[in-house]
Amino acid sequence: MNTLLAVIIGALTVYLAYTLYARRIDRHVIQSDPKRKTPAVLYMDGVDFMPTNRNILFGYHFKSIAAAGPIIGAIVAANLWGWFPAIVWLILGVSFLGWASDYSGIVISIRNEGNSLSAIAHRLVSPRTRTILFVFIFFYLLLVAGAFVGIMATVLESQPKTQLGVIVLTAMGLLLGQMLYRWRTGLVRATVLTVGLTLVAILGGGLTEDVFKAFSTGLNNLTGAPLVTYFDPTLANFKGAEAKIMPSLLFWALSISAFCYAGSVLPIWRMAQPVIYVGFWITALAMVLGLAGALVAPFAKPEVAQFVIPAFKGFNPQLGPAGIMPLWPMLFVTIACGAISGWHALFGAVGTARQIENEADMLPIGGGSMFAEFLLGLLALLAVSVGAKGAPVGAFATGLGGFISVWGIPLQYATSLAFAAFIVIVLVVTQLLFRVQRVTLSEWLGDVVPPCRNQHVASLICVALAILLMLTGTWVYLWQLFGGANQMMAALSLLLVTVWLASAGKNWMYAGLPAAFMWVTTCASILVTAYNLYTNVYQINMAAGRMIPVVGSGLMILVALLLVVAALYIGLDTWRAFQRYRHRPVQQPRPAAARA
Amino acid sequence: MVTRRLARLRGAMRDFVYGLTGYEFARHALEMRHELEAVFMVVTFGELIGVPVLPPVYSLRLLPYVVPEIATWKRHMARSREFWEKHEYDLHGL
Repeated sequence: MNTLLAVIIGALTVYLAYTLYARRIDRHVIQSDPKRKTPAVLYMDGVDFMPTNRNILFGYHFKSIAAAGPIIGAIVAANLWGWFPAIVWLILGVSFLGWASDYSGIVISIRNEGNSLSAIAHRLVSPRTRTILFVFIFFYLLLVAGAFVGIMATVLESQPKTQLGVIVLTAMGLLLGQMLYRWRTGLVRATVLTVGLTLVAILGGGLTEDVFKAFSTGLNNLTGAPLVTYFDPTLANFKGAEAKIMPSLLFWALSISAFCYAGSVLPIWRMAQPVIYVGFWITALAMVLGLAGALVAPFAKPEVAQFVIPAFKGFNPQLGPAGIMPLWPMLFVTIACGAISGWHALFGAVGTARQIENEADMLPIGGGSMFAEFLLGLLALLAVSVGAKGAPVGAFATGLGGFISVWGIPLQYATSLAFAAFIVIVLVVTQLLFRVQRVTLSEWLGDVVPPCRNQHVASLICVALAILLMLTGTWVYLWQLFGGANQMMAALSLLLVTVWLASAGKNWMYAGLPAAFMWVTTCASILVTAYNLYTNVYQINMAAGRMIPVVGSGLMILVALLLVVAALYIGLDTWRAFQRYRHRPVQQPRPAAARA
Repeated sequence: MVTRRLARLRGAMRDFVYGLTGYEFARHALEMRHELEAVFMVVTFGELIGVPVLPPVYSLRLLPYVVPEIATWKRHMARSREFWEKHEYDLHGL
């Protein structure tokens, strides 16, 4: 297997699934009608509801859904089960589930006057759905924040050459915000300056490597011993090892937390938005060069185009102390975003859906963006499959660096760019996670615990919880729990679409079958992860008398059980609603203008 | 024919890149302006939605200038929202 063949298979998948399946569903089941007025047209207010050109919206929606998720999932899955199951799930997932979830989230909102999924669920399923959604969103954010802080701190600490780039990225983000919103500098000029300087810092990171190394050594010499020691069953290629949190690692974890705290409490234009913008260009540059490089690598540089990791490591790879990791259900939550993601549907329904000016645009934007994200996941899988040197993230960077080097860029710089792209994409998402998480916390607990309404208090609580989870060290389990929560949201949105289709008297199979599969799979995966956490982290560290990982893993197990209970409630409510509407469809409310 | 197609493709690519990059800033600028306008409307015409703030005589003098916006503004204010709606464009890529 080489990269060209994989890209051809991926492109063919996109073409066939889009033309033969997705378009058919759009025409015959949803019956999209270009003449029907969309909420963007009917309720245009110049802010939330605003008809927007299809191509602009495609770019906007793609950027909104594609980032760290598809990359990390593919990296972990390829290392656990081999590249073959990962690529098969990516292909089948996006062809039959992923596009359906994203597209349907937009359709159901457009056909229900631009309402959010929770408002529609409140009307069609049951009033308690909204509360349960809160639970899902909060813990989902908590899990992914813990996983990302853990990954970022480890990578930054172990790769001193990347540290300068991250510091300059932050400074350039702040400068860009100031230039755009205060000094009124043109976007192109501000972009060239800030992105250019960040790129220089990333490529020149090797020059300051020794300085940062000496700094880390100085920090570690302060204590001379690890701050926390725990057993991590996922280390040493899942053979398990004692992990030590040194002061330098904690320093980077706290630095990331401070960065995220600032991104959470400062006005969005001041930090979060411009940092994302600068980071986007760095990542986009690496990805575009990487994808094009993967295509021509078999001819130009064959040594970087051959898959070197095993194709298949078994249905239940023997992981020793890392516990059980059966292909079903764990693969289906480990690779989340490149195949299917609930987050897309949740936010597509309130963001993109209210800007679509024509029903004929629903599929190209909703489904098309998901297919494009699949290609991003595929690229990550290719990179990790050809660059099996070192830890998973290192393998990804080596592989992507190899693809980029096809264009004549020295391998050392190409790998630095690949590493930076990974770090940047995760970092910018992490600060937004905290931002949304503190808003969620305020909304959820603000009435009961008034201090939670304060943005600083809420942000500090979120940061503290994420650090606690990070100190358990087992970010792979955290990632899989996050994947379970994410895929469960996808199942819930598809369940809601199924109920809506039944209530409208339409064929519900294209959403119903994926919904049932994902619901069962995610419940099972969350329980497997909870079991792994209990036997491999909680019990072992409890026996060794290490309280921090015990508390952290205990919290993760509690979250896992909460998610399953919430899923059971929603499943039950949805089943009842489905039975109610299946035999007695109701007439759908027509838009106000049509009634008039 | 070919030239026209190429021009169309170039236009689509330009729009796509704008959607990826500058569109978010444009939306945010619109939102900031809208928030200021909403404050102005509540202060001057709060009575329309049950918030008496400004003496009616001043409201009447301003009325001709805001008539075109009233229907949109009332619809916007009356619509129930989820808390995450305002932040939807703030969270990318999960």
